[in-house]
Amino acid sequence: MIRTCLASAVFATALAGCSMSPPLADGLPATAPRSIELSSTPYFPQEQFQCGPAALATLLVASGVDVTPETLAPEVFIPERKGSLELELIGAARRHGRLPYVLATTADEMVAELEAGRPVLVLQNLGAPWMPIWHYAVLIGYDVERNRAILRSGGKEREEMRWQRFAGTWHRGGRFALTTLRPDVVPAIAEPARFIEAAAGLESAGQRKAAATAYDAAIARWPEEPHAWLGRGNAAYADGERATAADAYLHAIMLAPDDPAPRNNLSELLLDAGCLDESRRQVERAAALAEGTPLESAVADSRAKIEATAATVARCELAGRDWPD
Amino acid sequence: MRIEAFRRACVAVMSVSLISLGMQAPAAASVVGTSEAIAAARGDNPRAVVDAALARADVQAKLAEMGVDQAAILGRLAALSDEEVSTLAGQIEQAPAGGDALAVIGVVFLVLLILELVGVIDIFKKS
Repeated sequence: MIRTCLASAVFATALAGCSMSPPLADGLPATAPRSIELSSTPYFPQEQFQCGPAALATLLVASGVDVTPETLAPEVFIPERKGSLELELIGAARRHGRLPYVLATTADEMVAELEAGRPVLVLQNLGAPWMPIWHYAVLIGYDVERNRAILRSGGKEREEMRWQRFAGTWHRGGRFALTTLRPDVVPAIAEPARFIEAAAGLESAGQRKAAATAYDAAIARWPEEPHAWLGRGNAAYADGERATAADAYLHAIMLAPDDPAPRNNLSELLLDAGCLDESRRQVERAAALAEGTPLESAVADSRAKIEATAATVARCELAGRDWPD
Repeated sequence: MRIEAFRRACVAVMSVSLISLGMQAPAAASVVGTSEAIAAARGDNPRAVVDAALARADVQAKLAEMGVDQAAILGRLAALSDEEVSTLAGQIEQAPAGGDALAVIGVVFLVLLILELVGVIDIFKKS
């Protein structure tokens, strides 16, 4: 009895959730094409539970990377969970030199990506909220007249879904939508902070070349974003290009004078370059700025290191003697 | 229970080794990474180096426990930032794992069928 009640309550909720998705025509920007189908998108039929590797391979191959679901599986699949996690798909995309960019939770960014010729990976919940069946598929198009979403999905090379049904499964999947960009490409509808953070993800993953390219793209598009310059500096510094890195840090400091991060990194760079006095001056300034911020301890580390170097250089073991001219 | 104890031991060993690794490479360690700077500017309280190392060791142990090949785990985690690994550590058991598997069993078939027919769910239509 209780179960029946519960079931009908959830049933009603599920229905309510579903009926909230409007038809495709209502949510589409006026300028968007009436229909798109990226029919040249590759298709990889999925093995059991392997929709993650299959969907990711579809995106990566479409963006010019040579992979297969079989080579991706060891990078993303978790046997006990019988599936793959969003964050691990993101990590794998980075490992293959692509910039994973999570799209907004509304449909317009998906549509804009399709318009730009890039398929979109989506997480669907094919079950109900209380009994999820998680599934990754790739949205390759839509048709407004017929109110359909067009997908590469699981065992189907071309699946058409009524738009509301697709939107419902996507909504229940947490509205996760991902595009994997060549690092020199900025998404069709791009938010600077989100894009720069995505580039920073490449940097964290040790993909220095790809990160540098992405920061360059960010700087070209938003030259006033200090974190893009900081990132460019970090990528250059890691590659040993000190002059380029110094210029980038200076730009970041100019745009965000109160941020301790570029000052700190500049002081490290100056120390490496043998400019001890300048390095100390910068790290003192960074320490003052970092006081009480989450970066306080990081800057304190740099400062301690620089002071230690200064002490070594300044110490003359045989001071106090007269030396010949 | 025993697995849990084993996992904790792994975490302890891994974190000690990771922390000492970090100390051997001070040059790279004191450059503020862009992710870290962004998190700090946002006002997030980025975990200390020790916490990040712990989270990495934790996720590493969990992935091994969940059947992921040992050799692949380090490479997989290396592609994620400290913040992402911390997120993963908190949700690796619950986060949606896309794979078409039925996550919870024990619901009446009829309810499913009705939901399917009404168009709320889409289980039975797959190839």
